[in-house]
Amino acid sequence: MTDDAAKPVLSGVQARSRNPALRLVLYVLLQAIIVVLCVLALRHPLREPDSRYLVESFTLNDRSATRTVTLPDFVPSRESMNDPALFTGSFAWTQREEGRPWSVYLPRFTNGVEVLVNGVEILDSRRDPTANRLDRATPEIAVIPASLLREGENDLAIRLYVWGPVPGFLDRLYVGPDEVLRPYEEQRTFLFVTLPMVFAAWQGMLAVILAMMWAMRRHELAYGALAAAMALGAVQAFLQTAEDAPAHPALNATLIASAPLEGAFVLTFGILFFTRKWPRFWGPLIFLPGVALALIGLLGDRELLRQGFLFLGTPVIGLYLLLLGLIAAWSAVKRQDVPSLLLGCGATIVLTCLVHDMLSVAQIIPDHRLFFTRLSYSVMLVAIGAGLTWRFARALNRVDGFAARLAIQLREAEEKLRLSFAREQERARVAALARERARLMRDLHDGLGGQLVSIVALSERGEAGGVGEAARAALKDLRLVIDSMDDIGGDLMLALGSWRDRATAQLRPHGIALDWRAVPPGLPVYPELRPWHVIQIIRILDEAMTNAVKHANAQRIAVSIETVKDESGIAQGCISVEDDGKGFALGPDGAAADGRRTARGLRNMKSRAARCGAELEMVSGAGGTRVRLKLPQRFVDGDAGLG
Amino acid sequence: MASSVDEMAAPDITILLVEDDPPTLWRLQDALVKAGFDVAPAATLAEARASLATRVPKVLLTDLQLPDGHGVELIREVRQHFPDTDIMVISALGDEESVISAITVGATGYILKDAFPTDIAATVRELVAGHSPISASIARFIVRRTQAQAEPPPGPELNTAKLTPREIDILWGIAKGFSYAEIAAHLGMSKQTVPGHIKSIYRKLEVHTRGEAVFEAVQQGLIKL
Repeated sequence: MTDDAAKPVLSGVQARSRNPALRLVLYVLLQAIIVVLCVLALRHPLREPDSRYLVESFTLNDRSATRTVTLPDFVPSRESMNDPALFTGSFAWTQREEGRPWSVYLPRFTNGVEVLVNGVEILDSRRDPTANRLDRATPEIAVIPASLLREGENDLAIRLYVWGPVPGFLDRLYVGPDEVLRPYEEQRTFLFVTLPMVFAAWQGMLAVILAMMWAMRRHELAYGALAAAMALGAVQAFLQTAEDAPAHPALNATLIASAPLEGAFVLTFGILFFTRKWPRFWGPLIFLPGVALALIGLLGDRELLRQGFLFLGTPVIGLYLLLLGLIAAWSAVKRQDVPSLLLGCGATIVLTCLVHDMLSVAQIIPDHRLFFTRLSYSVMLVAIGAGLTWRFARALNRVDGFAARLAIQLREAEEKLRLSFAREQERARVAALARERARLMRDLHDGLGGQLVSIVALSERGEAGGVGEAARAALKDLRLVIDSMDDIGGDLMLALGSWRDRATAQLRPHGIALDWRAVPPGLPVYPELRPWHVIQIIRILDEAMTNAVKHANAQRIAVSIETVKDESGIAQGCISVEDDGKGFALGPDGAAADGRRTARGLRNMKSRAARCGAELEMVSGAGGTRVRLKLPQRFVDGDAGLG
Repeated sequence: MASSVDEMAAPDITILLVEDDPPTLWRLQDALVKAGFDVAPAATLAEARASLATRVPKVLLTDLQLPDGHGVELIREVRQHFPDTDIMVISALGDEESVISAITVGATGYILKDAFPTDIAATVRELVAGHSPISASIARFIVRRTQAQAEPPPGPELNTAKLTPREIDILWGIAKGFSYAEIAAHLGMSKQTVPGHIKSIYRKLEVHTRGEAVFEAVQQGLIKL
């Protein structure tokens, strides 16, 4: 949890308080209220049966000393298990009660009892492992066999077995009709036996969940510590203290006395969870008492373990609870979040109960020796569970929020990228356009410009005859450029179609027929074809035709357009211009041998073809001339190609 | 193209020739008169309208940029009032923009201003004979418009929705320089039916209502409001 989680989520006035001191005061006040409520609840007596069934006057025979006692009574702790304190008393029974079973009900005793009626044993609590646990106030009830009862006074003897450092205790007991007493017994059983089991089961579940969480998120040691604490707690609850030897008595005893270790884990969790820092120097000390007790349990004898648990374990647990409470308080004041507050309140409740229990054990406060620490610990479990769930839900919310924010950011980034891509494309387009325009301008300058200059020159010399021709050439050039600017989608056939119209019109006055041979579908499509390429191709064809008309005196010109497949099966566009003129001799270098004008024209054609990446073949002889233009697989950017 | 149409004089064919550039007008008029046509020249829209009032020509040849208006107006008027008159545009460069806008108001082709006199006469004769000439570049312009494109290409608006796939195929053939015979063979039809298809194409490209035509003209910037 980061610090921005410290949003006011607490209820009531605390949430709105900005002043840490005030928050602390309010927190302490809240804990004080909880303590008061706890004390009131603890002082609240449990329901007991009608006092007419109460048997409280006994003669106690303890270690050869005899005295009259009124229950509840304590007997000192002892070393021997076979030296019970004997309480003898009596109760009245009449024949009228026949048909109604009577029972002896013992609400609370430590540590074990044998009940004898008229000298016959009817109950031995030591055979009930649950009843052997000091921390559980297990009640006992035993039906008196009808045959044992007799009219008038009946003898009642209780043998109270005491082990461990805690003095023996026998609460007031009741003898009466079973149907009257049993509900009270059941109520206590539910409270002091069933409920702890339920909570222990829950603890076990929590242990599994937390262990899972820790397994998935190893860096969150807090969860590991809490999982260990929960596991220990669950184990404690389900292990029994049987008098007859269990498989591993030492381990059994150690685990049952592992509460200090459990407490150490809970405190570790608190430290890691709330401060997110592990005190490297004194942190391990937290585990010292727990480990010491475990060693005693495993190596030493059980008496020492009991002593250790009572005089070392219990205060240490109290200390842990206090520390946990302080950490939670600090966190609650600082962060004002729900888990801190819940855990703080939980710690206060458990601590209050622990103090109560210790005072009870020390016989400082008069009561019925009911221990509530374990029971109240379940409140803390609820607090921990709620706090973790709260944190988990919050984390999920933040993940959702993060995901939503991420989606927005992603959209924004995409939009930006799209825009910048569009800008980049636009820039590239503009650059390409500028290049294109520059090339066209150069072309216009060379072609149209030259022709116009020649018109000016001719008209200045008064040679009107040549003017028309030059002007026509200029117009033709202009049309060619305009035509080439049109987007033809790489289909050179579309440009050739227009050229055919122009060429036909041009040849008609000369009386030359244009034999056009195009086999559908004509030429391949060249996606990279630019207007500049089209101009070069058309100029080559124009030049070939002009040569045929002007210099070869051809009568017929054939243009054939086809797609041929070469050896490797690659389709190649091919345009041929053939005439039946007188032809011209070609030099060894492929250049025209006669006439400088023709030579220049041929050179021009070759160079134009090369700049497009096309190949020009020329065959000329007495029978005519054939110009064959092999189009490239891919039109090259002439300027880039030639530098 | 098919210049086999008879070269004999056709005095009964009347032509209204509208051209504001005097040398061009003389040149065209000479070519047509020599071929035997009855030519009425006009240099402005007003003169052309006056001429139309006295005599309805068989053929209207008009330039587009005229001193007192745009040739498109004249073409539309003639198309509306005298549907029997064949109309052609006189164009300096044969650029699609002007020719197509004339086609959409009812013209069926164009004559280049620098065409040879024999070609000028031959073209008019073919037009009168019922052949609607179409050049490769105009065909190309039309078929490029039939192709689906992300953004409308520059140039005048042209509604090609009414053209049939067959007509579009014919246009493709013309645009790529194939002859009528080659197109007919390729499409499995008779060579004689091709001109009919071309005439039909012209009619389909025409914008029919007056409002549409004006809107188109305004869109193209041909008419300034």
